[in-house]
Amino acid sequence: MTALDWTVLFAWIALLVGYGLYRGRGSTTVNQFMLAGKTMPWYAMGLSIMATQATAITFISTTAQGYVDGMRFVQFYFGLPIAMVILCATAVPIFHRAKVYTAYEYLEKRFDPKTRGLVTAIFLISRGLQSGVALAAPAICFSVILGWPFHLILAIMGGLVILYTATGGIKAVTWADVPQMMVILAALIIALIAAVRLLPADVSFFDAVRIAGAAGKINIVTTKFHWNDRYNLWSGLIGGTFLFLAYFGTDQSQVQRYLTGRSIGQSRLSLLFNAMAKVPMQAFILFIGAIVFVFFLFEKPPLVFQPAEAKRIAQSDQYAPIAARYDLAFDQRRDAARQIKNASGKEARDAAIAKFRDAEDRLDAARTAATDLGKERDTNYIFLTFVTHYLPRGIVGLALGVIFTAAMSAISGEVNSLATVSVIDVYRRHFRAGATDRHYLIASRAATVFWGVYAVGFASFATGFGALIETMNQVGSLFYGTLAGVFGLAFFARRVGGAAAFTGVIVGQITIFAVAAFTHIAYLWYNAIGCVAVLSVALVISYARPRRS
Amino acid sequence: MMDEQKSVPDEPPPVLRTWPRVYIFVLIYLACVIVAFYFLTRRLAP
Repeated sequence: MTALDWTVLFAWIALLVGYGLYRGRGSTTVNQFMLAGKTMPWYAMGLSIMATQATAITFISTTAQGYVDGMRFVQFYFGLPIAMVILCATAVPIFHRAKVYTAYEYLEKRFDPKTRGLVTAIFLISRGLQSGVALAAPAICFSVILGWPFHLILAIMGGLVILYTATGGIKAVTWADVPQMMVILAALIIALIAAVRLLPADVSFFDAVRIAGAAGKINIVTTKFHWNDRYNLWSGLIGGTFLFLAYFGTDQSQVQRYLTGRSIGQSRLSLLFNAMAKVPMQAFILFIGAIVFVFFLFEKPPLVFQPAEAKRIAQSDQYAPIAARYDLAFDQRRDAARQIKNASGKEARDAAIAKFRDAEDRLDAARTAATDLGKERDTNYIFLTFVTHYLPRGIVGLALGVIFTAAMSAISGEVNSLATVSVIDVYRRHFRAGATDRHYLIASRAATVFWGVYAVGFASFATGFGALIETMNQVGSLFYGTLAGVFGLAFFARRVGGAAAFTGVIVGQITIFAVAAFTHIAYLWYNAIGCVAVLSVALVISYARPRRS
Repeated sequence: MMDEQKSVPDEPPPVLRTWPRVYIFVLIYLACVIVAFYFLTRRLAP
């Protein structure tokens, strides 16, 4: 990191926080604080929804997935456009017309207080856990890369988030996400251009794509079905649809964004914008990971990407022989990659690919042996290593700054939604109904500070998350199926009452926990299984009972 | 008491006249993207 990088890093963070504070001014009523007075245009909501998901984890972990596992993770998002269309036709107009602040408020109108209370508790527990992961994961990486104490980074991130979220509410969160998302896209494009320009002179962009394909990294669509396979076309289309129905239709961090729309049409457009942009964007990020992989075929990557672990492992007696094996395998893999590029016929190409795979297996074995000497998996440091070692001066600071503020952006949305649910569904519902608007505004700001401090506190105990984005999604998938089920009942099953819905939620949640604990079914299916369990149980109970006259 | 939320209007989409047409367009777009990705995968597979 040069002085220029540090300047760009701090300038970007200050600019974004300042912009959030500026745009968040005037949040002097609960309606303004929680729903921006319903004044938001579609592009601000759309970019904000996208930015909430384009977290630091997206940069760090999705690129790493492209590097390690290829592009097949993009199938996870195939259900998103389908879910968005369903939600535009159902949830968006229903929530707007119900004039609710939270999705769970609607459940009491539709069912009863206990169903609302149960679903509120599920949201607060699951989202609370995720907020800790979302803050801890990038903070750990930053502490290693920048050499700063982990708790200092947590305090800076958490403090800044609390500052602009408690001051400006959803307006500050949403508007800060707009430049954030645009700079994210710019930084991603710069990273790809840099990776391509850094390739050897005789390796063109198209050569790199061909080599990535031969290495199995352009594995975008897998049509083969298996329950245990995490990412294939079917798990993405079916499991993904249920996941995103629940995420965008029942998770307050997303519902609150599109409830700020100045019309139902503007809210719909914000979701449809995501429906069309999300899959190509994720494919692009994974593609960057694949191209970084090709770059590291010709430029020797460190044996272990996590710098602190690498230093420690290098002290081990077992290090030298592992490093020798690694060096040899790297040279052979590089030569095989060149042979793939220059192969003229199918036979020559197949022979080169066989050599490549053999070398790749031995290189992976050496890397596994090295990382086993340490304590932590290093996949989350692959892209950060590329950024800090190979991007031009100034751009390194911008890229790290964007990753830093992406973490803040995600946390601010989560803290804001947790505070809204705490005040509307817990405090106002159970402890203090009928207080003044000003009272609830103060309570909202206090709840924002509480959840910000909670996220920092939870994160400070969390270390050693593996593949970060998978951890996040797995935690979410334990709860989202149930949420999708109960809102499905609310929207489509008029006959189902509160008692049946409540029982359905309990059985659905137990079913998901049982499936997670006792089977190897891939986690994307938890969403579909949980949703179907809730719907089935509630419908059976409703139809088994005689109808009241 | 908390301030009352204002009612927000519904409005037609800026293109294609009706929302169902927009939804169909988005789903066709998704199908095209998946098909394109499928052929790209086939073309570049090892």
